[in-house]
Amino acid sequence: MSRKLIGALVAFGLSASVATAQEYPTKEIQGIIQWGAGGSTDTVMRSVTPHAEAALGGTVVMQNMTGAVGAIALNYVADSKADGYTLLMGAENPMLYKIMGLGDKDYSEFTPINILARGTPILVANNDAPFDDYAGMMAYIRAHPGELKMGATGPGGLPSVITAMMNTVEGEMDVISVPYDGDGPALTALQGGAIDVMPAVLGASIESIRAGAMKPIAIFDVAQNAKLPDVPLVTSANEGYSKYLPWGPFFGVFTPKSTPDDVVAKLSAAYAEGAAHPDFVKLMDDRGFTMMGISGAEANDFLSKWQQGTAWLLQDAGLAKASPEEFGIARP
Amino acid sequence: METFLAILTVFTQPELLALVGIGTFAGIYIGAIPGLSVTMAVSILISFTFSWDVYPAISLMVGIYMGGVYGGSRTAILLNIPGAPSAIATAMDGYPMAQRGEAGQAIGVTTVMSFFGGLIGILVLALAAPFVSEFALTFQPRDYMLLAVLGILLVGSLSSGSMVKGIFAGALGIAIGAVGRDPLTFTERFTFDFQIMEGGISFIAVMIGMFGVSEALIQLQNVGMKAVRQKIDKIVPSFSTIKTYLPLSLQTSTIGVIIGALPGTGGDIAALMAYDHAKRVTKNPKIPFGKGAMEGLVAPETANNAAVGGAFIPMMTLGIPGDAVTAIMIGALFIHGLNPGPMLMIDQPDMFWFIIGALFTANIFMLIFGLTGIKIFTKIVEMPRSVIIPLILLLSIVGAYAVNNSITDVYWMLGFGVFGYFMRHYGYPLGPVILGVILSRLLDDNWRRAIISEREDLGRFFHGVFTSPLSCVLFVAVILIFVSQTPLWTAIKKRVFAKTS
Repeated sequence: MSRKLIGALVAFGLSASVATAQEYPTKEIQGIIQWGAGGSTDTVMRSVTPHAEAALGGTVVMQNMTGAVGAIALNYVADSKADGYTLLMGAENPMLYKIMGLGDKDYSEFTPINILARGTPILVANNDAPFDDYAGMMAYIRAHPGELKMGATGPGGLPSVITAMMNTVEGEMDVISVPYDGDGPALTALQGGAIDVMPAVLGASIESIRAGAMKPIAIFDVAQNAKLPDVPLVTSANEGYSKYLPWGPFFGVFTPKSTPDDVVAKLSAAYAEGAAHPDFVKLMDDRGFTMMGISGAEANDFLSKWQQGTAWLLQDAGLAKASPEEFGIARP
Repeated sequence: METFLAILTVFTQPELLALVGIGTFAGIYIGAIPGLSVTMAVSILISFTFSWDVYPAISLMVGIYMGGVYGGSRTAILLNIPGAPSAIATAMDGYPMAQRGEAGQAIGVTTVMSFFGGLIGILVLALAAPFVSEFALTFQPRDYMLLAVLGILLVGSLSSGSMVKGIFAGALGIAIGAVGRDPLTFTERFTFDFQIMEGGISFIAVMIGMFGVSEALIQLQNVGMKAVRQKIDKIVPSFSTIKTYLPLSLQTSTIGVIIGALPGTGGDIAALMAYDHAKRVTKNPKIPFGKGAMEGLVAPETANNAAVGGAFIPMMTLGIPGDAVTAIMIGALFIHGLNPGPMLMIDQPDMFWFIIGALFTANIFMLIFGLTGIKIFTKIVEMPRSVIIPLILLLSIVGAYAVNNSITDVYWMLGFGVFGYFMRHYGYPLGPVILGVILSRLLDDNWRRAIISEREDLGRFFHGVFTSPLSCVLFVAVILIFVSQTPLWTAIKKRVFAKTS
């Protein structure tokens, strides 16, 4: 009992700094989380970091820095000293800043420490929606143009990419796109019937699906999901999707580009170990995330491929503010 | 029987009991300092309690939450600076009481009423959570919009004196809230291409500046004035006092629970709406509102603590956060290996009852810690101005910086402080500005969602309003409250009364 009590008391004082040997890390590391407290990025980062801290033998003080779709946090870390004491803990959004006119920086200014996991998109519908599967939904959209309400989270978010994919594969759909500030509020609105259909990340909707509060329509992936084995893949309804899948949002830890190699190596090793911790693996699995745990050249490869595919998909769907070509993003 | 045991978990394990107590105590002080928010404290605790079991971690968080919501009233009463957004309404009648030397009495009533509100919130959570959450889900974007309009109409109650100045202040608040990248389309609004405007203006910075810094500047004008001696004999309110306000506090607690349970609205809006409600239903207050009316303390304080239980309702039944703090708690449950969602109550019913037990314990601790130490607190008001003014400024700067660890917020805070000083000087009320900032997003986003959902067709929009009973009630309320504030109403009332007499 006393240990926890003492710990609690210390928490309200200043956070204790851990001084280690001369080597890195010699002081606290600042971890800037791009999104707000309680969100997916926040939860993932707060659950992996303590394991990484143990491997690193240092302290990472995590802090949420929100605003401007994460651009404020990105710019803050990009402008900080490249010494490994400021980390960016972010999601996929920065890869679309340039073409969406949200900023002039993306992860090309950073070295990926670890790309932890990726999420799987799923299409869910309100329980009262007059269809139960993907084919039924498409038939409904064609029979009732301009009636289906589809949730969105603003340009560049997961729903916008999935909608662009659907428009490309199925031809332009006449639906109403209702914007929400995040998939949490949108899924709440879905249960209340304010919207009919919502493309969301599996992890955000899995518990509600399990409880029967909303019905799954299709999973946007190439392989059957172990968590929801009965939900059909979208590719089984239309082969055209396989060109764009697998696609999904991802979470990663980054450091500014010119960070010394030995520091990057240490951090990468620590986060690789942290991400492999059984507690973390179980937690990610419960939420339906696919573990990746890649770094170095492999991560860079993944990032540029992801950016090319998504940017051109949005450009072809007419959603991009500026052509990917302008920023040297090659067509895949 | 198992349910009963789960509720009692907190009492049977001294460790948990102590953690709830520590949490509540710390929460009161974190809540009292403007800028140090419960949201921040709880998100720090997530990392801190990472290696703990889930029960101790939740105990601490629940304590901080309950204590923090109450703690905001302390500085609101003593210094006219709300420690948290939910205590804005408390300052309006609490501070005048402190100026009359009744700070002790004000804190006493606030504490007991916060306890009462908290209790109602917990009871509703325990007994009716599934029904309330079902009701909360039926709120459509147009209903949220109507609710926001209803909120905007509170400008009338919050501005003493000129209505025109109040409307101006409210409009200014709405404009401040619209600055930055629009969260729905990511378009820049009112940023004038300045990078510091891109992230928007921190609402907390505006609040601290307008209340804290401007208060310090006002007090500079009479530095030499002697502080009011505080009466500290009648701190715990008598039973008859409590009985007098019982009907009102029941009504305002209900407002608190419902507003708290709605995802997207929280204790701040609940407290302001409750204040407005009190002003409407109290026909003859002993002391006028804004001058230190007891009802003006009872209403917001019951409502914001009742909103705590309310916020847990959608969290426990649906896995949907009722406010920012419960959003973080959902993250905490997830990190601790639970799967917060609609299945939580079925898979882990003990968790639900444990949280109720912890909330109940925190509520009792709040009452104990709240009623002790008031004498020391009231001494703050008796301190010489030359000490208090630098103290207010220091707290304001630390608080504004701590919200986002951003120096930009401190500049905003100082700017709005000076601006707020001049507003006060020329008789513009500050309450409506804050109200505008709080409601700006709610109004704007939901109006757009509502009209987009109807394919931008006003006819279809009104068809929707009149075919839904909920929207209909809200719409009629908006119309009635609006008309009752116009000269037309007084004219009609005169005529009707003239005829009957």
